[in-house]
Amino acid sequence: MKSRPAKSAPPTPPTKVVIRHLPAMMTEETFIEEVSPLPKYDYLSFVNADPELGQFAFSRAYINFCNQEDIFIFTEKFDGYVFVDSKGDEHSAIVEFAPFQKTPKKANRKKDNK
Amino acid sequence: PEVSPSQMREELPPMHEYIRKLLYLNLNKQPVDKTLRQMRKLNWNDADVAAYAVKCMTHVWNVKYLNIGFLASLLAGLAAYQDAAATQVADGIFEEVRLGMEMNHPKFNQRRIAVVKFLGELYNYRLVEGGDIFKVLYSLITFGVSEDQENPSVLDPPENLFRLRLVCVLLDTCGQYFNSGNSKKRLDYFFVYFQNYYWMKRSHPMWTEDNPFPLGVEYMYRDTLGTLRPKMRLHKDVEAAKEDVKKLQEKLMAMLPKEQPKEVAAGGGG
Repeated sequence: MKSRPAKSAPPTPPTKVVIRHLPAMMTEETFIEEVSPLPKYDYLSFVNADPELGQFAFSRAYINFCNQEDIFIFTEKFDGYVFVDSKGDEHSAIVEFAPFQKTPKKANRKKDNK
Repeated sequence: PEVSPSQMREELPPMHEYIRKLLYLNLNKQPVDKTLRQMRKLNWNDADVAAYAVKCMTHVWNVKYLNIGFLASLLAGLAAYQDAAATQVADGIFEEVRLGMEMNHPKFNQRRIAVVKFLGELYNYRLVEGGDIFKVLYSLITFGVSEDQENPSVLDPPENLFRLRLVCVLLDTCGQYFNSGNSKKRLDYFFVYFQNYYWMKRSHPMWTEDNPFPLGVEYMYRDTLGTLRPKMRLHKDVEAAKEDVKKLQEKLMAMLPKEQPKEVAAGGGG
């Protein structure tokens, strides 16, 4: 049931940002605390590190900002920002536009009657 | 038989075991829609369950390689109801590709192959767009790449040919759909740069008569390009590949809008 091809939507300016290389043990709460106050956003997703990756185990977060201008201010501040984990180890974060820009639709999500 | 410590697995909560069973065992032996129904019944409002299911679907290397397409099909079915999960899996896959390049450790090679294969299938099932695929294709031939032999790349050293394989696996999986209109052109352009990357690797002085460029890699490369563009004539050396890149860049530059606002005039409103 492969359903390609479909027309792709016209490109819109990117608004979804990924914050990579966060400390592995970081929690969503600590993350939000550290980056607060956040400009207006409509999507935030925090992903815990994969411990299988050893020294490359990082947490990461995705934020979709509502206003383009806010992104540059956020990136300016947090790209390269050093987050310190509970053990005192320093992690220099990377902020970039997320390669995948889609965010989940809230409004017209089908309710699953299962 | 004795179980070595490395084989011992910590005991997982039953719900986690169940999700693993659905995705890593049942998907192999029952129709996708049956697994889909069971996946839909998970309690997606439970943050722990949802996160674990997303993690297991992202860890696609735990699925039998030949069945990776089934997982994409499952996710496509699930996306209608759990859009957030589908988005998070896709995000995770792009991160895997990138992290794979940053780590560049042979230990993860099989994992990286499974990831790009899955990415191609996500495109086939319309969970990601063509533009997303091209972003990854270009990142694979540019991220941390050095064309300067005096300053070899740490992330993509000359003897490492693994990214060639990743590009081929991705194209073998979904390249067939870049066959008309804009996407066809995009793939044609990419091939110009990909051939250049291939020849940069292949023409490196480390390959000699005693230490020839691996035939397997050459065949794989020819196979992928030959299948997707049977009429295309492949470049025969690095100079031809470079020349082609130069020509394409000139062509693309000429296509840019002529009236670029001049820097000086930018504030003047001319």
